[in-house]
Amino acid sequence: MMSLPFFGAFLALLATLSGERMIALILWVVSTAVLLALFRMHATSPLNIAL
Amino acid sequence: MSAPITTADRFRLLNALGLLAVGAVLVAAFVDQIAFNDLPCPLCILQRAGFMGVAVGLALNVKFGPRPSHYAIMILSALAGASVSMRQTLLHIVPGEGAYGDAFFGLHFYAWALILFMVCIAGTACLMLFDGQFDKGDNGVPAQRRAFAPFGVVTIVLVLLLALANGASTVIECGGGLCPDNPTSYKLVDDGTIEHLFGPVLGPLRDLMGR
Repeated sequence: MMSLPFFGAFLALLATLSGERMIALILWVVSTAVLLALFRMHATSPLNIAL
Repeated sequence: MSAPITTADRFRLLNALGLLAVGAVLVAAFVDQIAFNDLPCPLCILQRAGFMGVAVGLALNVKFGPRPSHYAIMILSALAGASVSMRQTLLHIVPGEGAYGDAFFGLHFYAWALILFMVCIAGTACLMLFDGQFDKGDNGVPAQRRAFAPFGVVTIVLVLLLALANGASTVIECGGGLCPDNPTSYKLVDDGTIEHLFGPVLGPLRDLMGR
């Protein structure tokens, strides 16, 4: 599951090389959304700092 | 007679050089992982994915010509990556809390990542200061329709291969699920999946290396 942002970026770069700009943009959006969702799943404990 | 070099062409070259720089960062992380057996943690993997997002924006500029939307992709990806590296830096910022992985020139990789994401954001903002790159050429043809330099193709292919390698490495380390917080070994190597799938290839390789 954690490899999905890389494979998404891989496909986005492949679409870029193929001249498919819109597909590349959609794949980037999906990859970034997955990245942020995975970050949310891993950021569960409170930070031991005082702000 | 070849077409004159435009401002957009110069910025495509700059973006290609930026793509090489991002590739160098990802190669350095890979070298540390393989040569020093410094396995990336989940947050480290997500920071690499952030750099990959920046690379997608750079590649779009190289292929289609500079556009504000491509620079926005670079900034948003760098912000996503910086959020992850900032959390990891804050996790270890209190003295005595420990750290993750090896230090590199005095700083750990997540601290370097935070600095580099800030450099990406500042660099992208500086590149966007030059409006001339967004103009159409003298003949009215947008920059993105002009000839695509071979150097640009090479840089995009390099980062494309790095994306594939990082994806494969993450699958070998974590399998199909989430990665453990402090990984100590490659999951698919430990459970024999790699041996089962690639044993016929790995066997002769081991013999060649005298192991």
